[in-house]
Order: sequence, then C-alpha cells, then structure tokens
Amino acid sequence: MKLIPDKDILLFRSCLVSVEYPGVESSTKFVFDKLGIDYAISEKQTCCTGLGHYSDVFNQIDTSAIGARNFKIAKDIGRPNLVMMCATCYAINKKSVKLLNKKDDLRNHINQLFEENGLEHLKYEKDDLLPSENIFHVVDILYGKISEIPKHIKYDLSEYKIASHHGCHYCKVHYEDTIAGFRDPNIIDELIGACGCKTIGWYDHKRATCGTGFRQRYSNPDLSFTATADKMNALDDEEVEIVVHLCPNCHIQFDRYQPLISKREGREFEAIHLNIAQFIAIAMGGDFDKVIGVKAHTTPIDSVIKELKEVEQ
Amino acid sequence: MRDDLKVGVFLCECGGNISDIIDLDEVRASLDVEFVGQFENLCSLNGRKIIRDAIFDHDLDRVVVAACSPISHEKTFQDYVKPLNPYLMDMANIREQCSWVHSDKAKATHKAITLINASIEKVKQSDAVDPIYCQTPDEVAVIGGGIAGMNAALSLAKQGTKVTLIEQSPSIGGHMAKIGKVFSPVKIAEECGMCLLNPILNELVWNENIEVLTNSKVIEAERRAGTYNLIVEKSPRYVDTERCIACGKCKEVCEVEVPDDWNDGLSTRKAIYRPFGQSYPESYVIDMDNCTKCSSCVKVCNMRAIKLRGRPERIPLQVGSIIVATGHKLFDMEKRPEYGYNRYNDVITQSELGRITGVNGPTKGKLLKSNGEVPKRVVMIQCVGSRDEKPDGHRYCSKICCTVALKNANIIKHKNPDTDVVICYTDVRTPGMFEKYYKHTQENEVRFIRGRPGEVVKKGDSFIVRTEDTLKGEFIEIEADMVVLSTAMEPSDGTREIAEILNIGTTEDGFIKESHPKIKPVATDVQGIFVCGTAHDPKDITESIMQAIASASKVSEYNYGGVEIEPFIAEIDKDKCILCGDCISRCKYKSMSIQNDEVYIDPMACTGCGKCLVGCGQKAIHVNGNIDEKILATIKGVLSNKNDDERMILVFLDNIGYTAADNIGVNRLSYPESIHIIKVISVNRVRPNHIKYALENGADGVFIGEFPGDLMYDEVERKVDRIKETLIELNENPEQIMFSKVYIPYFTGLARKLTDFDKKIEELNL
Amino acid sequence: MTSKQNIDDSPIDFAEKIIADVKNSKEEGVLKCVQCGMCTSTCPAARHSDYNPRDIIERVLEGDISILEDDLIWNCFYCYTCHSVCPVGNSVCEVNQILKQIAISNEIGYDKLYEYMGFADSYFTAAIGAIPEIFFEDIKNDVPGWWEFRNNLADIRDELELDPPLMPPKEVIDEVSKILTITGFKDKIEKIRASEEAKQ
Repeated sequence: MKLIPDKDILLFRSCLVSVEYPGVESSTKFVFDKLGIDYAISEKQTCCTGLGHYSDVFNQIDTSAIGARNFKIAKDIGRPNLVMMCATCYAINKKSVKLLNKKDDLRNHINQLFEENGLEHLKYEKDDLLPSENIFHVVDILYGKISEIPKHIKYDLSEYKIASHHGCHYCKVHYEDTIAGFRDPNIIDELIGACGCKTIGWYDHKRATCGTGFRQRYSNPDLSFTATADKMNALDDEEVEIVVHLCPNCHIQFDRYQPLISKREGREFEAIHLNIAQFIAIAMGGDFDKVIGVKAHTTPIDSVIKELKEVEQ
Repeated sequence: MRDDLKVGVFLCECGGNISDIIDLDEVRASLDVEFVGQFENLCSLNGRKIIRDAIFDHDLDRVVVAACSPISHEKTFQDYVKPLNPYLMDMANIREQCSWVHSDKAKATHKAITLINASIEKVKQSDAVDPIYCQTPDEVAVIGGGIAGMNAALSLAKQGTKVTLIEQSPSIGGHMAKIGKVFSPVKIAEECGMCLLNPILNELVWNENIEVLTNSKVIEAERRAGTYNLIVEKSPRYVDTERCIACGKCKEVCEVEVPDDWNDGLSTRKAIYRPFGQSYPESYVIDMDNCTKCSSCVKVCNMRAIKLRGRPERIPLQVGSIIVATGHKLFDMEKRPEYGYNRYNDVITQSELGRITGVNGPTKGKLLKSNGEVPKRVVMIQCVGSRDEKPDGHRYCSKICCTVALKNANIIKHKNPDTDVVICYTDVRTPGMFEKYYKHTQENEVRFIRGRPGEVVKKGDSFIVRTEDTLKGEFIEIEADMVVLSTAMEPSDGTREIAEILNIGTTEDGFIKESHPKIKPVATDVQGIFVCGTAHDPKDITESIMQAIASASKVSEYNYGGVEIEPFIAEIDKDKCILCGDCISRCKYKSMSIQNDEVYIDPMACTGCGKCLVGCGQKAIHVNGNIDEKILATIKGVLSNKNDDERMILVFLDNIGYTAADNIGVNRLSYPESIHIIKVISVNRVRPNHIKYALENGADGVFIGEFPGDLMYDEVERKVDRIKETLIELNENPEQIMFSKVYIPYFTGLARKLTDFDKKIEELNL
Repeated sequence: MTSKQNIDDSPIDFAEKIIADVKNSKEEGVLKCVQCGMCTSTCPAARHSDYNPRDIIERVLEGDISILEDDLIWNCFYCYTCHSVCPVGNSVCEVNQILKQIAISNEIGYDKLYEYMGFADSYFTAAIGAIPEIFFEDIKNDVPGWWEFRNNLADIRDELELDPPLMPPKEVIDEVSKILTITGFKDKIEKIRASEEAKQ
C-alpha cells in the first residue's frame, strides 16, 4: 500500500464545508488530534475553484494557476501534504499537480504569466509536489491510522443500520490512488468498521453519484433529484438509518434535499447524513454542538441518534 | 610466427560473374603470398581437388578463397580445405560486395585487392578451433498434465523418447476434464469432452515411455551443457496408489465436507476423495488441509492403502529438454464486484455453467439455479476481465470466450428450449469455421444484445442486468434469473512460478513468451525449453494440441540432430575468476551460471558477443578464436592498401547486416567503392580501440549496423554513443561514426544509407 | 438518409483536437473507443435523459462538430463513472468537459454559464467559490430552515471555535484576483456577461 503521511499536513479548507457544514472541519480536527496527526490550516489558502470549474466557468488554466498558488503556500510553510475534506478539492488539486508536472506547456505558460506580472514567488517547478505522494483526502489519512481508531472509541453506534456513500471525485477521478476500491468503494465502510460498527456493504447504486451533478442541481433539478432518488430509494429499501459520506457536496444533496425528494417520491426518507469525520468524532465522544456541528444539519441528527451508549470495556 | 605463415589465395572467376569486372591478372600480380591460383568455378566438385592439391604441394598453413559471399559457400570451402582446420580458411567476398555492386573496372579491381589483402591479414590471425557438437540428453520433462502437456508427452513417447510428466494436482486431465461438452465447428454439434479426453489419458497411462508424477512440482532447476537438472517435489498423497483400488469405502466414513474444487465449489466432497470419476492415478487422495485425522478411513480400508503421515519427497530429474504446459486460470471475479459474483449464488462463471450442465457435475447435468428451479432467462456477459485496461483487467482478448458462450448457450437451449438465453457482447469473435457455429446458435433462438453491461443487481427474486443496447442506442435493464460471466483467461500461478524457476521470459501479461511469434512459436528464449497450450497465451483445445505436438517435434529435432555450434564462444579462466557473478548478470543470452563453484558457460546459449569480457575485473574471460585480433588485422589489411586520394569507409556488420549487404549485390544495386564491409560474429565485438585505430590509420568513416531484434542492440547503440562522446572530447568530429538499424529485406535502405554516409564523409573531408 | 464522406474530409481532426487539449489525461483514449456502451450502462444522465456518452464519442469520432451546440452535452453530472470503468481507457467525462470549453471559446453556451457567474464574482470579492446568490431563492423554497441556518452561520462557527475566519486577508484576495485577470479569466467573464445582458 502507498505511504500515507501523518505529519507536515496542510488541512485544505473547503468552501462548502466552511459555509454549509462547518462541523465537518471541527470534527476532522477533533479526530486528527485524537490520532496525533500533525496538521495546520493556512489563511492564505484559497478555494480550489472546483464548483466553478465543474460549472464550466473556470477552464483548466485558471484552475491550475490557482492550484499552483496554493501548492506554493503549502511548500512555503513546510506542509507539502495537502489533505482535503472535500472530494472535489481532492480531485481538482490532484489533477492540477499531475498536469503541472506532466505538461510542460501548461506549466511554462502559467509560470510565464506569473513572471510577467510580478508573481514570480508563485512559480511552480516540475515535481514540486507529487500527485500520489502529496495529495490526499481526509479518509486516506484516517485509513493510515485505522488500527489506532478503536483505541479512542467511546460510544457504540453498532445498533444502527449504516450505509456508506463514497464521493465520485474521491473514488473515480484518480481511481489508481483510491484506497479500498472504486468499483465497489469501501474505504468508509472500513473506517466505520474500525469504530466497531458494520455497514450494510453493497446496495444498489452504491457507487453512483449523489445526484448533485454540479450544474444539474440548479439548472436541471429534475434530472439531479431523480438520480438522488435512485440512491435514496435503494437506501430506504435497506432501511438505512445513517448514511456516511466524505464530501460536503454529497452532504448537501442528501441532507438538505431529503425533504424535497421525500415529497417528490411520496416516500418518507428518514436517514440522517454524516460525514465520516463526524461519524468517527461522535463515536469518539465529540460534543454534538461544539464538535459535530449538528445545528448545520437539515435532517436532525437526534431524529436517529437519540442517545449514546458507551462501549463496554 | 604468424607473419611467416604460408598463405594460399584461390581466385574464382565465377563463370565471368567476377572476372568480367575485376581484372584478375592484376589481382594475381599484386598479391605477395606463397601460392595464387585462379579457376573458373571453384565451388564445383573439382575445386576440392584443386585446393587440396595446392595445400599439399605448397605446404600451405592458411587459405583465402576470393569468390562469392561466405553466406553462400563458407561451408563448402571449409570442407574443401580439409585436412586443414576449417577455421584456417577465410573468404574474401569479391562478388556480392564487389563485382556485383561496382561497374568501374579499375576501382573494382583495386577494391578486390584490398578485400583479399584484408582476408590474408585476418586469416593469419586465425587459430585452429573445432566446432562444438552438443548432444543433449534424450529425456524430456513435460511440466503440466493438462490437454497440452498430455499430448506433448504422448507424441514424444510414441517417438521413443522417455518423458516425465509432472502435474501439480492429484490427477492429470486439466481443465478439459471439467468442461463438460466440447463442440466442433464443422459438425455443428456438441460432444462429450471426457469421452474425447479419456482415450488420450488411457494411452498415456499405458505408454511405457511416460512416467506420470502427480502432486508434484518443479522447485529448482539448473542447466549445464544442454542438460537440465530439475528437483521435483512430490507432496504426499497419503493413499498408496499401488494398493488403493478406488472402492470408495473411505469417503463413505469421512465426516469432513468441503467445497469440491473440481466442481468449482458448486458441490462438496470429503477430505478423502477422488478428484473425478476418470482421474489418474486411479486412487483416492487426502486433502490434509481439511483432514481431522480421525482415522475412520484408515480403519475401513481393506487394502491398507491409507497412511496419515507422510513427507514431501524430492526427486532429482535429469533431462535434455523441457516442455512447459502449465496452463491458465480464470479471472478473479472479486476484481469486478459490480457483477455481484461474490454476492449472489446465481451469478456464475462459464466454467461453473460447464459443471452445472455436465452430466458428471453437481446437478447431474440438469440446468438448475441454486434453489433447484430451472432458470427462465440466462444472461451471459462477455469480456469480463478481458479487453479491459482498467486496474487488474487484461488488455488482450481471451479468444475462446465467445465460442464458449455460444456452446453453453446451445447446451442450455438443448436442455431447456424455453429458457431465454441472451448474450451481451461487444464483438462476436468467431473466425473461420466458428462463424457457422455462430449462425447455428442464432438459429437456436439464442439472442444477442450488443453492449457491455455496467452492473448486475438483485431486485426481489431476480437480477437486473444494466446495459446499453448500443445498436438501438438505448439504456436497458434486462431481468434475468441467472447471469453467466465469461471470465478472462490468465496465466496460472504455476505458469508464473515455472517462468521464474526456469528463468524464461514472459510477456507483460505474465504468459510464457515465445522466442519469435512467427518463426519460433514454440521455442522460449532459453534453448531447450519449449512452451505449449495456454501457458503461452489464450487458446482453445485444438490449438493447444497443435502447439503441444509442435513442441514435441522441436524436442525431437534436438534429440536426433544434436546441435553444432560455432566455437567462438566465451571461456573462463578458472584461476583468475573470483566468482563475483558480474558476468552472469551482464549476459543478455542467459548463458552463464555458477555450478559447482565455477562459472559455467552454456555453449548452446553463448553467442560470443563478448559483453562479459569487458566487465570482468579479473580479466578472467576470453572468447575463443582470436576475434579481437582478427578484427584488428582485417582493419589493418583494408587500410594498408589505401591510395592517397582514396576515401575509405569501414562497415561492420554481423550475420543479419551482412546478408542484407549481400542482397544489395544480388539485386545488382550499387554503392560507392569506398564502402568496405567487415563481417563480425557480433557487432558488439567491435571495440572502441578498433574504431580508434581505424580512424587514426586512414579510415575516413565507420558505419556500424545492427538488427534491432538483437538482444545486444541497445547495448551497441549506447556504446557507439559513448565513442562519439569521446570523439567530441578529443575535438574530433563524431559524425565520422554512424550507427544504423539493419534488416535483411531492407537492402535498398541499406544501400541508400551507405551511399548517403559516403556523401557525408566526402563533405566532412572537404 | 445518406451521409457522405468526401475525399478531403478529415473527420478524425475533431478527436485530435480533443486529444491535444490540456485537460485530456487519457492520451489517445478517445480513438480507441469500440462503442461497447459500458459508459452508458453506468451513466446517471443516460438513465434519466437522452444524454448518451457512447453516442458523444461516436459523434466526436465522426467529426460531427454540431455536438458543440447540442444541449444534451450539458446533462453530464461529471461523476466520472464512465471514466473509471471505460475498458479502452477513454474518458467521456473529460471529453465532455473539453467539448464545453471548445464551445465556450466559440461563444457557444454562454446562456448556460450566465447563471453561474456568481462563482466568478465570489472569487474576486472573497477568493471563495460560494453558491451563487441567484439560486438562493430556489434553495430557500426547497430546503426548510436553510436561510435561518445561513443567518446563524457565524454563531455556529463560533461555537465550533473555527479559525481562521471565512474571509481571507485582503492581500490574498488581491493576489488571486490578479491571477484570474492575467489568465484571461476576467475578460472572458466580462464578455459572457455583456453578451448575455445585451440579449435581455
């Protein structure tokens, strides 16, 4: 297996996490602290351009130029390991590193723009970062510490029916780097397993998109929500209570739009939606308001998790 | 000393082919040797007498025959110089490389004199050496007891060769024993596979020249002078095959039930079992991984054949040749989880369907689902793991899956005409006569949907196969109650292991690689080791048998003919050698190994390329036959005849390049007279100091040609690059040296390259 | 209907243009398509609309540039499922993104981008990719409690002790604004906006 770092990490802030589910960030920090992972956040780092990129507003040069700047910041503070909370940030940054390393024309073009406009300090040199060695998602880092997780588990969540939803941009874009499968993705299932719980495993549409589809959600809502309904119907067929994911955009699609899709389908979907960091943080005893950030959720967490049972020692 | 040697030169007119262009009178007058003779047709039978008489009359030590190309008549003249050692004769090629490529008589004559002088200098450096005859032992090991290995063994045994057939599992028979029915594209009918296999099996068992070792695998191999010393490890069977009468009482009392691998796990067997009804040896075997050692079987066995204790036995085997027939395995369906193979009982492989439809299978030939019902619709998915470049997939086509699916679809239709069979395909590959069988399948109302399914899911009691009907351009969900996956063929674990043990080359996919896909389709890159069947690449039974017989035939060539080897191979000075092993890793031809604390060079594999010498810190290696000195003497000989205004280009070619150069003459094309071709045993033997000497002593340019298929090609190219760099450091022009690819059929290209190079050198000299 | 290929037509040029695009990570993948349909069989858009990824590649290989103006290409979810399973190593998902960039450079599809100008604006004002305000009304209607939550965001973040704040320092915003100006992004956005607003 590839080497997963536990230090020199820049925890890459995500726009959607910041404004929609800030509890994902606090939960990630909470779990990272428990596991002794060395990370920092930089106020200089900016958005990866992902939402604009996949709405076709930003082209690859725009995105890679912004990427080059963020990569430089990471290097300058001695934290070359970028760790993303959002699947799209992960895919976008990994792709930019790959392209900047491999395509000389692109790198030279961007560097020349920087040079001609007083931004020499942002120039990216070939192989400044490496796509497989420096670009990670939070789940990768957690997976690197999977044997440590059980030691910190305080609450037993094994009574619930749990299913995983793996973000497309974590699993399928750079599938050669995906841990624990992309045709039947299982990294979340394995992390949940480390918390002493068992997921339902495979279900119909397990590897399918949440339905966001970037512009589809806003410009083509029928198409978007029909795809989400495929997923929600399949999860409900299995009577799933907790859906665990790894991307704030999936989180929005499931959590925010569950009431709407219930209405459209004429079927009451009642599952709650948690990011894997939130799930592990709950199991490790994180406070619902101060760590998990449940107030940001549309489907109330306490509609399913009514009380917590401590694990038997 | 060598300068005092008496040399005789024999000039051949070649019926005017040579003498019309070259003034042989002038040639004769220019030569300063013991004897010069001129004849109309030296290769004719009376040439033998002429040459032999002159050798005796003038007490000649060395002979130069100035005639045609050595490619045509070297063997002839090596014979004509008897009793002189054949390697004390050299040929000056004044036909293909002089009279046939040049038209200016004066220049051609001058060049002929140069070439003959070069030959004289070279032959003075020649030593008497004897060709090496290798006779390999007749015994053969065939590794793998499937249909390919069985046929190879049987073919050799019937030709009188002793064969040891080594099979890893408890019975020979391989995949063919399991597949149920086979079909013939011509007869358009399916027939019983076991009924075809059984006679072969019986014949093999009764043949006295074949010894069958089951439960056995090769664990070590070393090679010496064409002899392979193998160590075979035979695992205990725990049942004495001599005593066991296969009555089956033991299995009745055995309480352990485990999945039966012969039925692909679709049924169970006991810990003591017979692999299948016709298995050989005709004896039970104990699966010790699952045996509880309760001893019930021991007690019930009247023949006292069972012993619960046993140790692996190591059997040494000495053979001259090896046939690798270690076969294939099927793609691991865990790698394509979206098809649900591990989740659902009624998602099965074609191999499992073969067991289900086989009369000796778990359902006695009835087509049934796991719940005992007859399926209403069977959907087959093609190319699972084949034609797939994604991680763990195989880029190649597994070749047999289309016809296997057709066969199984027809069998289903025969058994249950009401069962709907749908084959989801990307391309139906039924070349040749198989196309008729495809049409027959369509007539049987088997349906074909063109599309590669994305996933199989369970909804209620049935499956949904999601695919696109690409001919309609429509996404469809096909309901089915049985799904059959046509899984890729991949090299078996045994194939991968034996490749490593025998140090034979494999393809990027892990199959055993043939030495040449067109002209040496059963030889491997190691002499004396041949391959057949699916260890080589995906193929069907017919092809496996054909290749098996071909490999047996190649072994017979070895056994009957022996092998005559040119003696110009490397030799180790054992006193100097410190066994560092550096030469072993340098040799591209895998000819070297350490045996009995000495470096051993296999004469059958060594090409005399000399790569080992250069790296030997101890200077403990030399190549027989004075090669270095001969090359240098040839260069000196060519250059000694140079006129002041003459341009002199030396061209070094080995057998392939030299043949291409001959073809220029044969086809009466031309190149400049400045071109002087020097034939070497391996281009790698042309050393930097040869080139340095040439350039310092009058050569204007050096051209080196190599066939890109030669294992040493990259090496030679790098070497030439290094020489060029040295020239740059010495302020010399690196353009004086040219390295080029040569191919036998591309002689026009070679002629053009030589002409262009001459022009370039002319410009450099201005 | 007869489709004619004239001797001087070079339909493969269209695919070559896509292969040469900086975004393409699959080298010659598009040329190796055998139209097996595995992409379509796993595609959420193909399942629920007339979008057909296999057909996209067929049209690209035919050199059918009218595809740039086909509304259907805007149905791709960018979920990369096709990209992750394609047996010949093509990526319809990437080809689709490239097609749209080619369309935009030919001033096609500006109407599709107009609603998303907010992503560009937020970058110049806050260096962040916020959901465009133009959609807030829809979200308020579709998602109960969302607007109230957004209004309480600062308090919630405070409670979670999240630091640094949402808004990056001014010099950071200035720097990324400069980057997006020199790459030509700003001009492109202004051109799209002007062109669409002129229509209205």
